[in-house]
Amino acid sequence: MNTQNIKQKIIKFHDKNYKLLLLLPLSVFLLSIFYLFSFYSANNDFIYKDFSLSGGTSITIQGNIDAAKLENELSSQLENLNTREIYDLITREKTGIIIQTSSEQEMTKKILEDYVGYELNEKNSSFEFISAGLSENFYKQLIMAILAAFLFMGIVVFIIFRTFIPSIAVIISVIADIIMTLVFVDILGIKMSAPGLVAFLMLIGYSVDTDILLTNRILKRHEGTVNRKIFNAFKTGISMTATSILAILSALFVVSSFSIVLTQIFSVLIIGLFFDIFNTWVTNTSLIKWYVEKHEN
Amino acid sequence: MIVILLLSLLSIFGSPTKIFQEGVLVTSVESNSTASNEGLQKGQIIEFVDGKKVTSLEDYLLIMNQKFPSENNLKTVINTKDSEIIFFTNDFPEITVSEIPKTNLVTGLDISGGSRALVKPQDVSLSSEETNDLVDLIRNRFNVYGIEDVSVSKVSDLSGDEYVRVEIAGTTPEDLRALISEQGKFEAKIGEEVVFVGGEKDITSVARSGEQAVIESCQKSTEFYFCNFRFTIFLSEDAAKRHADITSKLGTNSSADGNYLSKKLDLFIDGKLVDSLFINEGLKGQVTTQISITGSGFGETEDDAYEDAFNSMNRLQTILITGSLPYKLEIVKLDTISSSFGDEFSKSILIAGIVSLFAVSIFVFLRYRNFKSSLALIFTSISEVIIILGIASLIRWNLDLPSIAGILATIGTGIDQQIIILDESREKSSSINFRLKRALVIIVAAYFTGLVAMIPLYWAAAGFFKGFALTTIIGITAGVLITRPAFSDIVKKIQKD
Repeated sequence: MNTQNIKQKIIKFHDKNYKLLLLLPLSVFLLSIFYLFSFYSANNDFIYKDFSLSGGTSITIQGNIDAAKLENELSSQLENLNTREIYDLITREKTGIIIQTSSEQEMTKKILEDYVGYELNEKNSSFEFISAGLSENFYKQLIMAILAAFLFMGIVVFIIFRTFIPSIAVIISVIADIIMTLVFVDILGIKMSAPGLVAFLMLIGYSVDTDILLTNRILKRHEGTVNRKIFNAFKTGISMTATSILAILSALFVVSSFSIVLTQIFSVLIIGLFFDIFNTWVTNTSLIKWYVEKHEN
Repeated sequence: MIVILLLSLLSIFGSPTKIFQEGVLVTSVESNSTASNEGLQKGQIIEFVDGKKVTSLEDYLLIMNQKFPSENNLKTVINTKDSEIIFFTNDFPEITVSEIPKTNLVTGLDISGGSRALVKPQDVSLSSEETNDLVDLIRNRFNVYGIEDVSVSKVSDLSGDEYVRVEIAGTTPEDLRALISEQGKFEAKIGEEVVFVGGEKDITSVARSGEQAVIESCQKSTEFYFCNFRFTIFLSEDAAKRHADITSKLGTNSSADGNYLSKKLDLFIDGKLVDSLFINEGLKGQVTTQISITGSGFGETEDDAYEDAFNSMNRLQTILITGSLPYKLEIVKLDTISSSFGDEFSKSILIAGIVSLFAVSIFVFLRYRNFKSSLALIFTSISEVIIILGIASLIRWNLDLPSIAGILATIGTGIDQQIIILDESREKSSSINFRLKRALVIIVAAYFTGLVAMIPLYWAAAGFFKGFALTTIIGITAGVLITRPAFSDIVKKIQKD
């Protein structure tokens, strides 16, 4: 079989079943909603929060300190203790350790100074402290920002396409993308940080790009069949997502050695981009094809 | 686009002559020191010391270390670009210098190190004007304490709360926490009666140097060293009269050291007793405007004790001069970032960027099989980063961690959009101009969705992510207005060949 034949087979399959295909994202979406509700009732929130969203201290200490040992010994004294070692990229030599806890700053500093045996000052360490009140504030506002961004994005999409169903299709795809990413992040047990939430905001932007590409090509081009248009859009769209995933994946390898924040941002983005492939080319595609076929008749 | 690229490079690195400038930059001059009295100012560049050329920080330190400290006052000649400054001193001139920064990029605390605090009044909500007053008061406190290089500003967020944000680049003062949040309510009482309080109404001036503000002596006790300080404060007439009234009613006690009044002068800061001074019999009923305040610092070594005493004296003087805050402040966020992390960090970010770009270029080459297109894409992306950095240095924007994340985000969207253009250019239908216009439509649509997504972020979370929102917005705007059209032109040219 050559590629022509395979293409024909895929097109025939899609033409027959594209509406049924919607069951796939629909079921994943429903499962996600269900998961989120049970998550909420178990944890009183939709995400696990790290110190930057629930209050606490993060201390980065230079030097070769064993993270596992520290965690073992101090987890009884420091609440919600979390450690991570940081490395030099090239020599793979351990350069320091990042310690996160929801305990208060002065107390944490004292406990750590006792543990390492020397004074922690600005020459050998960095501190970040945020009060519980402020972090709760940040959390609420970042959520507000994400919802506002959604709203504005939706309005812009409507203005661009001026037709109801295609615009809704785009918005549904982006919503599905964010929700599925959220669920995956929860399943992995990742504790979200404030910058991590900002990554979701970035994801909205990346996700909507491929959907706009698809919808634009289908609605505004007048030559070729729907399938041809979808196929061409797919070629471009997949290239876009692939380069993004490639770029972020390579950056992820580099930053995972020294920054928790950047690691989290990039991880959220990669997960989101994979779900974007699913949601743009299954969910959005089926919906817009449905619209076009209906519209044509 | 080439023009803008060059302008951006110019903006980042400064004029070409600056790159070749040799010397060290004066980052601060102690006020009232001999050097500042002769005219040396912050921001000047020292090129020669005593006729010897200074090309780096090491040169400067070498020369200074060879001269000081010395027994006699030595003549020191410092040449800057436009002036010559001569002064005599027997110890290190109170000047801090640093290497001349290579770029005009203003790096945020996350990279260059420093401290940042967010404070808000406890249990009280302030009007806008009251917050502005608070900002001035805090800045004043830092300046009086001796820290000039501090940025104090008002910040508000989406929920309407207002905070004061304090940022100090470079080294962190020992008592940053205390300096910011201590209410600094100072009271001097005899018994239950208040004689005077901190602030300019009761205290007209406070001696800060010379014979009237000294660290007197240091001794060793069993485990620690103690150093004692003493400084004079001058009371206003009202406060002095109050002192006279209250002391006139007291009796006297005799002791081995002399005759003192029956009650002591108790000093309270924020309700805590910090010192108790004996009042000499001779002062009973006298309108005295001079009061000597004493105290001590301690430490494990004599140097530590000396430094502790110095800091305590400084803090006390600051509180007495600036008076107290009418309310308590709560520190809701405090970050102190070591400057040593900064260089590592920048290096690593650069490597991450290069690795990503490399991975993407391989993909692009494989997909399009066209060397020129791939090259154009990479070139455009790199230019975009340079342009964003150029704009950032032009507006002196602080590049912190969120800003850098924003730049990374823009590179991603930029590459996406270039792929849209590339694909469009490879189609065989219609004219190239028409196709490129179609691509641009999609790109503009994507631009607006990106723009509106970033706008709420600009104001959320007490402005901590402003950097991200701003660099992303600058990036995508520069993308749509400059690099995307430029890339289209390049693609058009490639197509023609």
